[in-house]
Amino acid sequence: MNIVEVQELRKQYDPPKGVLALDGVSFDIAEGEIFSLLGPNGAGKSTTISMLSCLLRPSGGDARVAGHSVVSEAQAVKEVIGVVPQDIALYPDMSARENLVFWGRMYGLSGEALKKRVDEILELITLVDRQKDRIEKFSGGMKRRVNIGVALLHKPKVLYLDEPTVGIDPQSRRSILDGILALRDQGMTILYTTHYMAEAQELSDRIGIVDHGKMIATGTHDELVNVVGEEARVTARVDHYLDGMAERWREVQGVEQVDLEADEAVLLTQDPNEVLPRLFEAAAAAGARITEINVTEPNLEMVFLHLTGRALRE
Amino acid sequence: MTKIIAIAWKDLRSTARNMPALVMMLLAPLALAALLGFAFGGGGGFDIAATKVAVANLDRGGGSAAAPGAGATVAGILTSPGFRDVLDVSDKGGARAARTAVDDGKDAVAVIIPADFSNVVYGGSPLARTQVELYENPTQQIGGAIVEGVVGQALLEFNGARAAAAGALALRAPGDASPAVLAKGAAEQFARAGGATTVLAISQRAPQVPGDRHSRNVSVTGSILAGMMVFFMFFGAANVARTILDEDRAGTLPRLFTTPTSYGIILGGKFASVFVTVALQATILLVAGRLIFSIEWGRLDAVVLLTLVAASVASGLALLVISLTRTPAQAGAIGAGVYLVLALLGGNFTGTAQGSGVYSVAQKLTPNGWLLRGWDTTMRGGGTGDLRWPLLVPLGFAVAFFFFAVLRMRRRFA
Repeated sequence: MNIVEVQELRKQYDPPKGVLALDGVSFDIAEGEIFSLLGPNGAGKSTTISMLSCLLRPSGGDARVAGHSVVSEAQAVKEVIGVVPQDIALYPDMSARENLVFWGRMYGLSGEALKKRVDEILELITLVDRQKDRIEKFSGGMKRRVNIGVALLHKPKVLYLDEPTVGIDPQSRRSILDGILALRDQGMTILYTTHYMAEAQELSDRIGIVDHGKMIATGTHDELVNVVGEEARVTARVDHYLDGMAERWREVQGVEQVDLEADEAVLLTQDPNEVLPRLFEAAAAAGARITEINVTEPNLEMVFLHLTGRALRE
Repeated sequence: MTKIIAIAWKDLRSTARNMPALVMMLLAPLALAALLGFAFGGGGGFDIAATKVAVANLDRGGGSAAAPGAGATVAGILTSPGFRDVLDVSDKGGARAARTAVDDGKDAVAVIIPADFSNVVYGGSPLARTQVELYENPTQQIGGAIVEGVVGQALLEFNGARAAAAGALALRAPGDASPAVLAKGAAEQFARAGGATTVLAISQRAPQVPGDRHSRNVSVTGSILAGMMVFFMFFGAANVARTILDEDRAGTLPRLFTTPTSYGIILGGKFASVFVTVALQATILLVAGRLIFSIEWGRLDAVVLLTLVAASVASGLALLVISLTRTPAQAGAIGAGVYLVLALLGGNFTGTAQGSGVYSVAQKLTPNGWLLRGWDTTMRGGGTGDLRWPLLVPLGFAVAFFFFAVLRMRRRFA
C-alpha cells in the first residue's frame, strides 16, 4: 500500500518566466520502505521535499501523504510527517534537551508524554550524558543526531531526510545510516535524498533518479542497473598503442564494445573475470603491455551516465 | 496557546542571554536620560538651580515719609515669592562684601543699589541719573541674565511710571501740580504697591493638564527618560522581532512551518515575545527611573495602560519592518532609519515637551508623538480619562502595523 503518492508535481518560481525547479515529477512510496531521491545538486530533490512538507505550494500537480493532499490538507499532512532538513535547524543557544522539549511542544506533545518521549529520543541518539549542553558546543555529527531526533519526537508515519549526512565524519555517517535502517525495520516509511550513490545503493528499497527537475528513472537498484544492460566497464591503459589494438580487443571473446579515448580504452563486458586474462594476452601478442586496468561493476553512477550522458558529480 | 507561550518563552530566554541587546534596551536609555537630565539642571526638575544673589542696598531713601525706599522695593522684588525658586538672595550690607562674595564664588551675582537711588527715582530733576550695579561671575550666564532681567524690569517700571505721569501732565491743561510733583507721586505709588511684580514680573508656568486642577511640573529627567524609553522600546522590539529573519536564515523558521503549528500561532508567539520583552523593558525603565531619579510617572492605572499601548505599537511596528525586509542586516538598517525619523518627528529627543506649529502637526502624525503626549499627561498627574487620544491613536497604529505585518508575512511564508 502506498503511503506517499506524488502526481505530476511541478514548481516554477516567479512564473511565467522564472526557474522551473520541478517539472511533472511522479512517484509512489510504499508503506515501510526507504525511497531515495538520487540526483546532483540542483536536480530538484530539496524542492520535492519542501513541497511534500507543505513548505512550498506546488505550481501544479499534487501529492498525498497518508491519504492527505499537500495542497488542500497541509495541517493533516504535517501531523504525520517528520522533516530532517539539510542544514542543522536547531537553536544553538539552547541545550539538546531544551531543543527537544521545544520542538516536542510544536508537535503537540506536553506534560509527562513529552518528557518521556524526549528521554527516549536522547537514548536513541545516544546523547543522554550531553543533554544539558548547548547545541553550539556539539560536534557536527552530534548536531546531526539531534536534528534527526527532533523529527522523530511525534513518531511520524513518514520521515523525510534531506541529505542528512552532508559534511560529517565517517563514524557519524555510519551511525546515522544504521539508525535509518533501524527505523525502517520498525516500520517507518522514509524518503531520503542524497547525491551519494553509495548511500542510495545501501539504504534504499527503491530509488528515483532526478535530474533537471525531472524524474528520469525509478526502481530498485537491480532494476535500474538493468537499464544499462548489466555490463561491467573495463578501463585499460597500455604503455604504447599499436595500430589495430582496438580491433584486436574487439575480437576477444566476451568483449562487447571497445571505445578508444586518448590513451585509454573503455571496454564493456558481461563477465570481466573471464575477459581480463584474454585482454592481457591480446596486448602481449600485439607487442604492448597493459600498465593500468580498472573494472567497474554496473552501478547507479553508470545508470545516471547512461541516462543523462553526464556523470552524477558533474 | 501552549505553543504561543513556548515560542515566546524561547525567544525571551534567548533575549535574556543576549547581553549587548540588554545593554541597548536598558542601560542606554537610562544613561542618556541621566546625562541629558544632569545637563539640564541636575536631574531634579525643570527648576533651574537657584542663582545665588548678593544684595547690597545702599539706598538712603527719599520721597515722602510714607513711601518706602526705592532700593528696598527693588530688593523686595528680588526676594519675592515669585523668584524664590530661581534666586537665592542674601543681604550683604555693603558693596565690597557683595563683590567679594562673587569673587569668592559664594554668590553668582551682586546687586549693588546706590545710595542716591531713591533720590533719583523720586526726585523732581529730569536730568538726575543713577545706576544699579550688577557685579556678576561671567561663567554664570543664566543666573546673571535672570537677575539682570528682574532688576531691569523694576527700573523700567520706575522709569515708566515717571514717564507716564509726565506725559499725562503734558497732555492736560495747566493745573495745580507741576510735572515733577506728579512724577514723584507716580513713582511713590509704584513703590507703595510693592513694585510691578504683579503686572510685569516674570512668572514660571507649566502647561495644564485638561481638567486637572493639580497639575504638577514634569522633571527634566522624567521627560527625557520618557522620550528615550519610547525610542528604545522601538529598538528593543526590533531586536527581538529580528529573530524571525535570523530563524528564517538558520532554518528553524521553515522547520517550524513543517510542524503542525499554524502560521497564526507562530506569528502570535513571535508577537507575544516581542510584546512581553518591550513591556518588561518599559517596566524596568519605569522602576529604575523612579528609584534612581525619583521620577513621578503618575497614576498606576494610567502608567500601566500607556506602557501596554507603547509595547503594542513597538511590537507592531517591529513586525511590520521585519515583514518588509529580507535579511537581518536590511532590517537593522531600514529599521534604524524608520525609528530615527519617527523619533525626530515625534519628539523623542526633546522629551515630552510638546511642539508648536508644523512640528506639533508632525508629532500628531506619529504614534510616538502621541505616546509622549500621554507620558506628559500622566507625569503631570493626568488619569486615564485624560489619556483617551494618547491611548487610542497609538493603539490604532499598533493594530494597523500588526495587520499589515501579518498580511505580508502570510504572503511571504505561504
